[in-house]
Amino acid sequence: MFLAWQEIKKNKLRFTLITGVLMLVSYLVFFLSGLATGLADLNREAVDKWEASAIILTDESDKSLPQSFMSIDQLEDIDAKETAVIGQLNAIASQGDNKQNIALFGINQKEFLMPNVTEGRAFEEAYEVIADGSLKEEGFELGDELTLSSSDQRLTIVGFTDNARFNAAPVLYTNLSSFHQVKFGEAAEQNNDQINGIVVRDDSISNLTENDELESIEIETFIENLPGYTEQKLTLNFMIYFLFGISSIIVAIFLYVLTVQKISMFGVMKAQGISSSYLSRSVVAQTMILAFIGTVIGFVLTLISGAFLPAAVPVSFDLALMIIYGLILIAVATAGAVFSVLTIVRIDPLKAIGG
Amino acid sequence: MAVLELHQVKKSFGSGHKKVDALKETDFIADRGELIAIIGPSGSGKSTFLTIVGGLLSPSSGDVVINGKNLTDLNEKQRSQLRLKEIGFVLQASNLVPFLSVANQMKLLDKVKKGNMSEMDRNQLYEELGIADLLNKYPSDLSGGQRQRVAIAKALYSNPSIILADEPTASLDSDRAYEVMELLKNVTKQKKTTTIVVTHDIRLVDYCDKIYNMTDGVLTETEEHTNRSLVAEESR
Repeated sequence: MFLAWQEIKKNKLRFTLITGVLMLVSYLVFFLSGLATGLADLNREAVDKWEASAIILTDESDKSLPQSFMSIDQLEDIDAKETAVIGQLNAIASQGDNKQNIALFGINQKEFLMPNVTEGRAFEEAYEVIADGSLKEEGFELGDELTLSSSDQRLTIVGFTDNARFNAAPVLYTNLSSFHQVKFGEAAEQNNDQINGIVVRDDSISNLTENDELESIEIETFIENLPGYTEQKLTLNFMIYFLFGISSIIVAIFLYVLTVQKISMFGVMKAQGISSSYLSRSVVAQTMILAFIGTVIGFVLTLISGAFLPAAVPVSFDLALMIIYGLILIAVATAGAVFSVLTIVRIDPLKAIGG
Repeated sequence: MAVLELHQVKKSFGSGHKKVDALKETDFIADRGELIAIIGPSGSGKSTFLTIVGGLLSPSSGDVVINGKNLTDLNEKQRSQLRLKEIGFVLQASNLVPFLSVANQMKLLDKVKKGNMSEMDRNQLYEELGIADLLNKYPSDLSGGQRQRVAIAKALYSNPSIILADEPTASLDSDRAYEVMELLKNVTKQKKTTTIVVTHDIRLVDYCDKIYNMTDGVLTETEEHTNRSLVAEESR
């Protein structure tokens, strides 16, 4: 550590450049992780809010909530601690020229899918809805009457909730009868037992139903099957994994060049009896110091930048994940010092002496 | 008791018709407090001799004994430890660590040698070598002579029994070269070390107690200082 730190102190410019590169890589990694988390939240936050263990959909729906059609009577086929029925409809809500993609959730007010109310009140009458708070940023307010693209019925916003987006669309919560009216119009009477799924809370998700037409799906699996969710997540994660590799290669190249420049010095030190392991530990310590400084600066810069981003940018920083990524960055950067260590071990002190 | 003994030490490189005897069978003994010069032209085997004595190169045959320890009985790690404790190197271009101040050059040795020199001894060493006022300077701030003085201080840092100096004055002008040799002579006598100077600079032989000539891998001791002119001629 002594040798490592002394060299950094003496050659500030050189090591600032390496730290700068690591800082930029970590900045990018943290930002991409924030973007990945933000985009994932856009898709899943309404589902996370359920705090459920599974969802029951029809077997033929291929794990898609809007493609699952079942009768509310099928609740009897479910053996679970807590259940909540859900009807879902994707639509465009508009008020004047203000149009938004939304997901309408039809729920029973007394079941656990009922969201918390952050502003206004819960729905009580027909065609009243609780809307996701993100709609406020789009200009919607309490008392606004919304027209849905697929229905003649008008819905009134009586309350707002938070963190309620499903597959990137803000959710409107209403009671089941209003949902049926919106979805089926004049045929609502005949379809008033129709729902899309049954959400379940239980310790175990196996043997929730013996009905062959129904499928019990773990919530995480359900989320991963949301359209585009996995593809989006994989793309961003791949970028992050590539950046880990790139940072390791960058550090390996920088350190290798620095080590090659110091071969003669290391040779003399080895001739004097200073062991390869001491010199190798010094290079590894130096890498860890640089990677740590670069990563911490990148981390702080990311948080500062995040504070100034417009709300429309779907960035959400998961501190625990960022710390894990930071530690991985330091670890892969340190792994990049392996080539330098091998070079040091192979240095023949004889050559330094000129033998 | 002899500090350094070489018995029938030989070093060959290559094999078959390409075999080269860099050092032919050599016997050599050095005692405490002796300053010895090994003189010879380039390629004569001087450096091979020095690297074998320093435990950096294993002889093809024969024994190298330092303070009773036979180097051929030691593994690489043990030889490295022996170099650290028993041998101080002074090299041609001083080869100080460029990013360490003079004080930190010594501190590094403290760290790897686990701090076996007291502060008082350290300060005394700095005074003796005239580097006490250079402690905060970096190698790039020092003159060639000053760098060699620091290199000698490093070599002496753990009170080694042997100092091996490879062309220690090669990069210095005459005045600085004599200054360095004077210093090596003084520390050899005061600290009772055995100092072996390998050089092709015949100006330095006046400072030495013994002079050996190396020619084509054959090491021969010359007569005492009466034969200096012959040494000079041979080394040319």
